[in-house]
Amino acid sequence: MLASILVLASDAATTATELLDQAAGEAEAVKNPILPTVNEMFWAAIFFIALWALMKFVLLPRITKVMDGRTDKVRDDLAAAEAAETERVAKLEQYEAGLAGARAEAVAILEASRAEGDAERRTQIAAAEADVAAARAEAAAEIAGAKDRARSELTGSITDIAVGAAEAVIQKPLDRAAQGRIVEDYVNASGQN
Amino acid sequence: MIFGLEFPPIENLVEWPNLFGPTDSWYGFNKIALINLVALVATTVLFLLAGRRKTLEPVTNAPKGSRNLVESAVGFIRDGIIVETIGVDGLRYLPFLASLFFFILITNIFEVIPFFHMPGNARMAGPAVLALLTWVYFIAVGIKHQGLKYFWNSVAPPGVPKALLPLVVPIELLSTFIVRPFSLAVRLFANMLAGHILLVTFTVLCITLWGASLLLAVLPFSFLMLVGLTGFEIMVAFLQAYIFTILASVYIGSSMHAEH
Repeated sequence: MLASILVLASDAATTATELLDQAAGEAEAVKNPILPTVNEMFWAAIFFIALWALMKFVLLPRITKVMDGRTDKVRDDLAAAEAAETERVAKLEQYEAGLAGARAEAVAILEASRAEGDAERRTQIAAAEADVAAARAEAAAEIAGAKDRARSELTGSITDIAVGAAEAVIQKPLDRAAQGRIVEDYVNASGQN
Repeated sequence: MIFGLEFPPIENLVEWPNLFGPTDSWYGFNKIALINLVALVATTVLFLLAGRRKTLEPVTNAPKGSRNLVESAVGFIRDGIIVETIGVDGLRYLPFLASLFFFILITNIFEVIPFFHMPGNARMAGPAVLALLTWVYFIAVGIKHQGLKYFWNSVAPPGVPKALLPLVVPIELLSTFIVRPFSLAVRLFANMLAGHILLVTFTVLCITLWGASLLLAVLPFSFLMLVGLTGFEIMVAFLQAYIFTILASVYIGSSMHAEH
């Protein structure tokens, strides 16, 4: 009994093994085209890792060095440009401050010159007016002298004519000195009117 | 045959025989491996051309040609991705992220390059490897910055109430350590495979219409669609490289500080 069971089990095992081998063979024959294959994975890994190593140690350093160099150069140039701009602004402010000082100084000089000119003008006007006044006083004195002389001469002449005429009318001599004073008083009174 | 179109089986669109090495061997070198090799060589040559002494000096000169292209791309990854997502502390990870970007971009762009017409990432192997490496990388960065506490900080962010931890920890564990690499790989693979199938579909349509009589009038529209989709695939190639790189950058940045 036990022997027959063992024989049956052995037959079943053999059959199962044959069926499994057959199934594996069929599965191998119908490969899924979507699943990855070992050889393609192997070469993809080899070539990618090779590229990665080359990129890390050979290819990228040259490129990034140049790119970093250019970035540094651009940054330095920008910093230099900013410094130059700052310097330009400072110089402009300094120039504008100097210009404002010069303008103020020019205005002060102008004002001083104008004040000096005004003072000089006033001095010269005063001097001229003084000269004019002196000349006018001198002329007035001369006129007064001439007038006195003329009046004196006129008084003498009128006295002579009047006394002569009166002596001719009354046929006697008159006191010339007394008549002379009367005529003089008259002429003076007439001159005042 | 679908609606009269002889559409090739999917295996014919994405599986390529080995150029050398036995079939199903672990080192069999096929078209996808060749595309990966060209991505390595093209990136290296481009950087070497850009890094020639005569193009580098003086540094004040405006970059031109290959140097301009490489500097623009590196500047984009540095300032547009790393500084934006991690900050200046993340600049040390530029080699890894730049490698990811260029490798994915160039393998993707083979979708529209004549005689290749196959994006390297329309096979799951490439995206899976890149996602796994990114996964290992951001875990390593986390351990470097936070020690072994990184694992606990990742699944139980500081400030989460203790009562919520039984809920948050499994979600974060799944999200950070399982979903992240899986979504990275599947997003890239699925987008590129879908674009590839789309271009193949319209190409097959154009070929079929070329031999048709009445339906020949439809050919110009189909051809214009093919041309438009080719341009669209160029954009997708760049976009997927950008998305993969920026997500990798975000994951690395989140590993650097516990509060992330």
